[in-house]
Amino acid sequence: MRVWIYLGVAACLAGLGAVRYGAVPSSYDAAAWQSANPEDGKVADGVFVSDYFDLSYRLPEGWSEGLAGPEPTQSGYYVLGSWAPKHDFVGTVLVVAQDMFFAPESSEAKNVVAEFRQVMSAVDGATIDSEPAPVSVGGRLGYRIDFSGVGLFRSMIAIEIRCHVLTFNLTSRDPELLANLVRSLDDLASVRKKMSDPVPECLRDYATSENVLHRVEPDGVGARAVSIPVRMIVAADGSVKHVHVIRASAVQRRNIEEALRQWKFKSYVKQGRAVEVETGMMFNFKPANM
Amino acid sequence: METIKLTRARAHAGIAAMLLGSVAWSGGALAQNVSNTTPNAVATSTTTTDAATTSATTANAAARGQNNNSAGSSSRSAPTDPGVRGGDPGAGGALTGLNDVERQYFDVAKEVFQEVDAGPDGLGPRFNLDSCSGCHSQPTIGGTSPATNPQVTVATLMGAKNVVPPFITANGPVREARFVRNRDGSPDGGVHSLFVITGRSDTPGCNIAQPNFAAELARNNVVFRIPTPVFGLGLVENVSDGALEASLAANAQQKRALGISGRFNRNGNDGTIARFGWKAQNKSLLLFSGEAYNVEMGITNELFQNERDSDPACQFKATPNDHTPLVSEETASPSASFQSDIDLFAAFMRFSAPPTPASATATPVAQAAPAGQTTGAATATTGAASGTTTTAAATATSTLMASASADASSVMTAAAGSSAAQPSSTASSGTSVTRGGQVFSNVGCQACHTKTLTTEKSPLTGQSNVAIQPFSDFAVHEMGTGLADGVSQGTANGNEFRTAPLWGVGQRIFFLHDGRTKDLHEAIQQHASRGSEANTVINNYNLLSRDDKQSLLNFLRSL
Repeated sequence: MRVWIYLGVAACLAGLGAVRYGAVPSSYDAAAWQSANPEDGKVADGVFVSDYFDLSYRLPEGWSEGLAGPEPTQSGYYVLGSWAPKHDFVGTVLVVAQDMFFAPESSEAKNVVAEFRQVMSAVDGATIDSEPAPVSVGGRLGYRIDFSGVGLFRSMIAIEIRCHVLTFNLTSRDPELLANLVRSLDDLASVRKKMSDPVPECLRDYATSENVLHRVEPDGVGARAVSIPVRMIVAADGSVKHVHVIRASAVQRRNIEEALRQWKFKSYVKQGRAVEVETGMMFNFKPANM
Repeated sequence: METIKLTRARAHAGIAAMLLGSVAWSGGALAQNVSNTTPNAVATSTTTTDAATTSATTANAAARGQNNNSAGSSSRSAPTDPGVRGGDPGAGGALTGLNDVERQYFDVAKEVFQEVDAGPDGLGPRFNLDSCSGCHSQPTIGGTSPATNPQVTVATLMGAKNVVPPFITANGPVREARFVRNRDGSPDGGVHSLFVITGRSDTPGCNIAQPNFAAELARNNVVFRIPTPVFGLGLVENVSDGALEASLAANAQQKRALGISGRFNRNGNDGTIARFGWKAQNKSLLLFSGEAYNVEMGITNELFQNERDSDPACQFKATPNDHTPLVSEETASPSASFQSDIDLFAAFMRFSAPPTPASATATPVAQAAPAGQTTGAATATTGAASGTTTTAAATATSTLMASASADASSVMTAAAGSSAAQPSSTASSGTSVTRGGQVFSNVGCQACHTKTLTTEKSPLTGQSNVAIQPFSDFAVHEMGTGLADGVSQGTANGNEFRTAPLWGVGQRIFFLHDGRTKDLHEAIQQHASRGSEANTVINNYNLLSRDDKQSLLNFLRSL
């Protein structure tokens, strides 16, 4: 089983610079991540705060939230926010996240940027201005690519947090503005007060028959030809502590939540101690399962 | 490894200065990484904001929750829709490569598609029009809503006393109406036919009333759909689910970087991809035909056997009104002589060729308008017809969207209301269209409006493994509150719509599912609203120079 280590715990960032903590005031408390979901981030007083991703970012002066994006998808994809100037429309920032549990195993930030480069290099009229390269973004390891075409200058910067790949997609018709937008991302900060705040282990395929000791199937009410992605946090004692049904009808959501709360997992032991685990699984309501 | 370092105060102050139009950045403060971030960059000029915004754009933006950024930008430098491309329709014929038997079958099917039905044929009791081709007629039989709406005339045909609802106008789009909710608040979403046969001389004794549209409009409970073109749909039907899935999965990182996802509207019984209709709610062309025959014309058939209004006084033909003839109907096609109408409707669609784009060297181009000039909506104009010849080859790897030859004079009429919208020289037209194709790909339109798909093995002559260019992924996408109609169909919710195929868009008059606009630029803007997957693409569009926006419109009108 592949193990994804939560980058926030990130001693892995040693040598890249420490993640900034508490740089922006927040209502964060130690338990916030347990009930927060990826799509819960919001802008308040000019600051984007995501408790789930442990991120804060002060929007550039004169910028505000753009139009909200679509709901989370059945592939675990989120539009976390878009920002743009309030007045002269000269650039945009779009922040999205892809849940790595529901993407190919090769979907690390580095590969995302590399794949993106391949796609854009094939677009007629597009130029790769800077090849993919590692960067430090607010003390986090990221990967960046710059490209341009039809008068638009763009950068994509990808980082990994909590088994998601977040990409910051910056666009401007002014390359200098773009450059400064990129730099402003170095102000990404943590909302946690201290590194010792607990975070779950991030395990891609923990909800397997090998680890699930007691399983209750949800009723498959609603549209039949759909797959429903679900994230959950399994407590150290193996009980299900938090369920996030990423996209489903209200009935499907309720049925899945009710079923999952009855599940019992084998405790995950790390360094001799049972610890909390965050994992995901897909419920398939496809005809083949009928 | 590059390190992005800059104090927040400095970065924000700098960005603020840029936003104020100042370029007085401190070179010393910011020089450290500019070369890395803009290696090949050449600054483009920032267009001065034009404070004058059109009231319509503003009102629409407000109505759909659009932010001021996009709306302001769009009005600042709005391009001009060249308008409906005139000349030969380049559509409406049979697929290239069919054999004689198949051609005969198509010809008969096309005739039946144009038949006008009356009371004794089973028309009604409730209906929207009395023929398929009445709705599907622009730019030719099989297309979409014509310039003059035939529903106005049919309302009182043969003595009928129908009141034409206010959303149906002589110069507006053909529309069907759906109610979002029932009176008790539960979801409706179904079609409520506009007209009844009451009063018609061929349906004596029927006395039913039209729906109370005034009351439903007052409740803000009515949404609309316009006809979708049916050209080339047999080829679409013949694209495998696997090919569609691969197409949707392709270029995933680019789509994610644009906020785009999409999913298929799958048939609940077998799980395969439905692909026809505004929400991809219809699984097959036969289903599409059967449903439309019943819903739009009130003619029951072997797929939809039962009348939608079963008032005994209003039944003038046994049900199903349309059925498979057991005795030859002696048509020019022996194969067609034993077919029901819905089979032939489906055959017309299945055997019809896709629209032919204009040649890139003879394409409508509107020039840059002077600052502040009002752009008028395009009107249904047709230029003098000149020969447009489909040159698609029916080889196994051919494209059915091959260029057609056309005279420059045949494909351009200026957008009404804008004297600036004039045809340019052939050379500059081609350049603009080519540039427009690049814009289309660079801003991200093609992420959903996928250019090319390939058919699988087909029973029809010469149609296997054919590359087609429908400019659609046939997936449904969240299109935001501005376009949402609140109607769920299959697995598509009230915010989702199928990516509208853009082949033939150059010759369409009305755009979007409800035909709300005739203007391509406005149609593009309408893609952005709260919750839409297209927001970033529209932001990109709004960041373009006016010339590049214009090139995009010119490219679209060449399709």
